[in-house]
Amino acid sequence: MNQIRSQLAQLNGSANALFILYYTAQGEPFPNNLDKLCGPNVTDFPPFHANGTEKARLVELYRIVVYLGTALGNITRDQKILNPSALSLHSKLNATADILRGLLSNVLCRLCSKYHVAHVDVTYSPDTSGKDVFQKKKLGCQLLGKYKQVIGMLAQAF
Amino acid sequence: MALSEVFQTTFFLTLLSLRTYQSEVLAEHLPLTPVSLNVSSNSAHQSLHLQWTVQNLLYHQELKMVFQIQISRIETSNVIWVGNYSTTVKWNQVLHWSWESELPLECATHFVRIKSAVDDARFHEPNFWSNWSSWEEVNVQDSLGQDILFVFPKDKLVEEGANVTICYVSRNIQNNVSCYWEGKQIYGEQLDPHVSVFHLSSVPFIRKTGADVYCEVSQGSVSKGIKGIVLFVSKVLEEPKDFSCETQDFKTLHCTWDPGVDTALGWSKQPSQSYTLFESFSGEKKLCTHKNWCNWQITQDSQETYNLTLIAENYLRKRSVNILFNLTHRVYPMNPFSVNFENVNATNAKMTWKVHSMKKDFTYLCQIELYGEGKMMQYNVSIKVNGEYFLSELEPATEYMAQVRCADASHFRKWSQWSGQNFTTLEAAPSEAPDVWRNVNSEPGSHIVTLFWKPLSKWHAKGKILFYNVVVENLDKLSRPELHSVPAPAKITKLTLDQRSYRIWVTASNSVGTSPASVIVISADPENQEVEEERIADTEGGFSLSWKPQPGDVVGYVVDWCDHPQYTLCDLQWKNVGPNATSTVISTDAFRPGVRYNFRIYGLSTKRIACLLEKKTGYSQELAPSDNPHVLVDKLTSHSFTLSWKYYSTESQPGFIQGYHVYLKSKARQCHPRFEKAILSDGSECCKYKIDNPEEKALIVDNLKPKSFYEFFVTPFTSAGEGPNATFTKVTTPDEHSSMLIYILLPMFFCFLLIMIVCYLKSQWIKETCYPDIPDPYKSSILSLIKFKEKPHLTIMNVSDCIPDAIEVVSKPEGTKIQFRKSLTETELTKPNYLYLLPTEKNYSGPGPFICFENLTYNQAASDSGSCGHVPVPLKLPPSQLGLMISPENVQKALEKNYMNSLGEISAGETSLNYVSQLALPMSGDKDSLPTNPVEPPHCSEYKRQMAVPLCLASPSPTENTSLSSITLLNPGEHYH
Repeated sequence: MNQIRSQLAQLNGSANALFILYYTAQGEPFPNNLDKLCGPNVTDFPPFHANGTEKARLVELYRIVVYLGTALGNITRDQKILNPSALSLHSKLNATADILRGLLSNVLCRLCSKYHVAHVDVTYSPDTSGKDVFQKKKLGCQLLGKYKQVIGMLAQAF
Repeated sequence: MALSEVFQTTFFLTLLSLRTYQSEVLAEHLPLTPVSLNVSSNSAHQSLHLQWTVQNLLYHQELKMVFQIQISRIETSNVIWVGNYSTTVKWNQVLHWSWESELPLECATHFVRIKSAVDDARFHEPNFWSNWSSWEEVNVQDSLGQDILFVFPKDKLVEEGANVTICYVSRNIQNNVSCYWEGKQIYGEQLDPHVSVFHLSSVPFIRKTGADVYCEVSQGSVSKGIKGIVLFVSKVLEEPKDFSCETQDFKTLHCTWDPGVDTALGWSKQPSQSYTLFESFSGEKKLCTHKNWCNWQITQDSQETYNLTLIAENYLRKRSVNILFNLTHRVYPMNPFSVNFENVNATNAKMTWKVHSMKKDFTYLCQIELYGEGKMMQYNVSIKVNGEYFLSELEPATEYMAQVRCADASHFRKWSQWSGQNFTTLEAAPSEAPDVWRNVNSEPGSHIVTLFWKPLSKWHAKGKILFYNVVVENLDKLSRPELHSVPAPAKITKLTLDQRSYRIWVTASNSVGTSPASVIVISADPENQEVEEERIADTEGGFSLSWKPQPGDVVGYVVDWCDHPQYTLCDLQWKNVGPNATSTVISTDAFRPGVRYNFRIYGLSTKRIACLLEKKTGYSQELAPSDNPHVLVDKLTSHSFTLSWKYYSTESQPGFIQGYHVYLKSKARQCHPRFEKAILSDGSECCKYKIDNPEEKALIVDNLKPKSFYEFFVTPFTSAGEGPNATFTKVTTPDEHSSMLIYILLPMFFCFLLIMIVCYLKSQWIKETCYPDIPDPYKSSILSLIKFKEKPHLTIMNVSDCIPDAIEVVSKPEGTKIQFRKSLTETELTKPNYLYLLPTEKNYSGPGPFICFENLTYNQAASDSGSCGHVPVPLKLPPSQLGLMISPENVQKALEKNYMNSLGEISAGETSLNYVSQLALPMSGDKDSLPTNPVEPPHCSEYKRQMAVPLCLASPSPTENTSLSSITLLNPGEHYH
């Protein structure tokens, strides 16, 4: 659990910087219209109940991390094509994805070893490859806004 | 058989005729109508794609047809485009045609219809159009979904400068929609209540990642969201510049070009433009992998002419450039190699090199450049494969750089790159005698000859000079010449010669040989120093020197001077002048302003003897004096004083001193005679006197007022100005009568001083004579009074009969000698009845042994100095008093008074002298108990008054209070502590 807490804290510490880096790299109108373009309006984001049992919280955490992992994968892929020169953004996205993978492994380990949960039904972030460029940028911004909000809550809950 | 062949032929001809007839009939009478029109849309390309077939075409029939297409927007009657499309139509062929809309298809419903006509030359009659097909509707809006706002076109790629139409579809007409292009609001026209259109004209390139166009939908003041698109604006593809091809080996053509701007865009919307080479004669094509060069393989079929086209292409545009050339005219040879030098000697060398073989009978034109000695020589030579060239007229011991490049001799197009190598020619013997000069200092019995020579130029040295040979030959005495070898790079040597004539030969040697000799003769006669020095001025560009020609034959003149005369090593320079010259100009960068340069002009006789003709001195630029003289004021009287500065050196100044200015300030408004008024730099007025003679270094300032205040300042001047500003020196003239007073007061003072000295020296005598401390009764006037009263029995006590008080003399035990030179009283005591030397206890750790003696009389001095206390001195006393009490010197001083006996020689520090007063000792008795806590000494006023008493009364009475006397009479051998 300590590792999970530590990883959550690490993610929480870098989430805001990642968000800022992202919307800055997109250019106008994103930096000046954060509430309209980057509001955390992700409808299918997995829920989290902080007052649940540890097992329930871990299961919900697992779902969230899976969702975020795929979403960050989409964003990283899109940004590498759209903004090939935004190396710091790519680096931060990759670093966050790496921590998420580690967190996912630790959560699954905890679920399996303590609660004998070997399988959790998960939902993935929708694929953005068919979307137009503006939509991709906007979805990425919304997702990172949501991620910043959720990761703070998760870090507090554990 | 023949019949059947005839029949068959007839049948086919008939059938052919029939088919042709049928076609013509059908074409002329049956309408060839487009059918099965299908219209689809491509949102990405904003295009409508039409497919149709033509009805009534016969099997295998091919006809040229023209199709007219009408496109309407929003409603069928609103035709926005009509156009024809001609093509050859086959039977059962599905025809395709596309139309790109400037308005995104999602923003409006489009309608399409088509009709056709035969446009074939085989039909002579005029064509007629078929009927229109029915309208085909294209409505993309229905498939958009239920979002509140849509903006189109999405991710459109356009070229810089294009016009772009943007539209939005709003589901709710109540909503207010504002659109922005790169942050600036744009305004459009409403196509229908749901759709608005914006026209962006001549869009610029903004960034590779595209520019955002977004629309914000709001209801009232509440924002409902933002939708947007990214518009990718590409830079215009440029035509490749400087496209050219050449070969270095007749195997490969290397083509290069300047690609211009890169039109790549982000998001993989458009990659960098591609380049393709196409050769029209061979029909071959090659896609180039680099953006600015490409290699084309030359085929071996000896194709000589090439027509190469370079095609640049991106998603939006294609550009091409073309060159047509003969391969043999496009030869760019490879660099020559193996450049070498053979048979290199002092003046020539053979250069060899190789070139790459091209093809049979190919001739190269090669160019050689030779760099050395700051020059460049160029040579051309034609070669086949191996090149060589003989380089001559080279300089010995010189490093050269030779390089070679080659080109096609038949069809010159371009030189190859240079290939080069350095080489150095060998040394040769020096070709010129060194330029030698001398300086002769005559000393008694000898000449100190300093020889100077200038290093040979590289041109004359022809190698590295290793040493200089100096051969000294005595001309007055037959002797073997002396050889002095001076290693290079020395430029000077010193010889001590006797006062005979000598001929000196100087040569320079390198590794190959020796230079011709330079000869100079030192005469036995001393150099003529009695030549007057003449002042010269520097003209622009140097010192212009002229002299009278020397009588007799001269081989030339030499002018010498020092570049740095202010230093010990003054860097002697000389200039050789021809025998006919009587003037020259000495010019050098070494000359500095404010430095005096001395020039000596010598004539060189045919015997090579130098004779001093003239001396010149001057400044390249005179400066104002650097310092002012130190002026002394002398002979100060009430009416005058003298200023003198005789030690001021005029020679060391940065200019010829022409005189002095003496400035004088006084309270008087009027200047003294010979002085004139002057205004100082600070604006104040003063009087100025000019001395024109630089050797006049004194001035008498007279006509002054007594007891007046004057200020003066003396400064030299040169042609450049005066010396530095300095403060005025103040002088006050004395009072007119003060001298008289001095004449009176001074002798008086000396007289008084003499009297004082005499009085001091005879003070003892005066004191004894005039006011003795103990008057001599025999000398007293009272005796006369007594005599007058006639009392003859009255006697006067003799002082020598008195027994004095005791005095202790304390001394260290180490054999300190204590001597008494005098008795304790004026009357000599031959027998020390009252004085004892006290031996010291060995274990005593106190202040030391002491001698006790009686105090003959009370000494006021001792009393004043606190000696009335007991010894050891109380520790509570202040140090000053302590010193007075314990110091033997003080005691001794006190004893030296008239009424105290001298102690003789008592060495300070070793012996302490304790005065024992008449007061009782507080610690008398216990010899071991030293007074660690001393008692306060009683006040001197309690001291028992001394009087002269007879000997019998000197011993204290047992009844007397012992505390009143400090006398301790001890038997010899008794110890006292």
